[in-house]
Amino acid sequence: MATTQLRIPSDHRFLEPAQVLIERIGRIAGVEEDELTSLSIAVMELVKNGMEHGNGLDPEKRVSIAMEALPGRVVVEVEDEGSWVPAEGIGLEPAEGEALMADRGRGILIARNLARWLDFSLSPEGRTRVTLIWPLS
Amino acid sequence: MKIAEDLFDDIAVIRLSGKVIGGPELVEVKEAFQSQVNHDRRNVLLDLGGVTWMDSSGLGVIVSGHTTISRAGGTMKILNATKKIHELFIITKLITVFETYTDEKEALESFQA
Repeated sequence: MATTQLRIPSDHRFLEPAQVLIERIGRIAGVEEDELTSLSIAVMELVKNGMEHGNGLDPEKRVSIAMEALPGRVVVEVEDEGSWVPAEGIGLEPAEGEALMADRGRGILIARNLARWLDFSLSPEGRTRVTLIWPLS
Repeated sequence: MKIAEDLFDDIAVIRLSGKVIGGPELVEVKEAFQSQVNHDRRNVLLDLGGVTWMDSSGLGVIVSGHTTISRAGGTMKILNATKKIHELFIITKLITVFETYTDEKEALESFQA
């Protein structure tokens, strides 16, 4: 499967269409049927982070999602138009105490736990890029 | 996403269905919780059985509802969390906060205990 790329505006109205497309591409790439929801949850967490933290919910700015099936795995890259990385250690462990009851801040934790591998970096253009690897059974 | 409400004596059952994916519709869920407090209903059972997709945004609004109801002296419990949603509760450790049920009658009776 060639790399499939989606570019969506930073607008909540595009979340559901993007989620549907991610599952369709995942299915074509060979992701197990009962893992498609987990895949789309993990990717959409990253897409929402890109929209909010990278693009400030500016609908003129886009989030790019590239998905490629390689032997034994699907590689997903989510890139926004910002230049940020989460604080070290974010999303490695669930919150404790009062922080457990925060309204926000669980997206990266969920994406890290659902995917087998997740890494934040900057693209050669200096944009935030998150790479997620999803193993195929 | 759809929101429906049922009343059983002093227990409000809020039933979510469809995709809880974020954006302005989550405000409606928050308002549904606040509405219970405004009507002096302090026992809330949140039925997630019809939810086909949810991520951290959905968890956030559930936590917000829990806080709203707790501050009013009430209790919110979870009914029919699907396997995927239950997994999110475990990953985020929210499973330690909420009582969860798979049987509605049992859940309703638990408020009387």
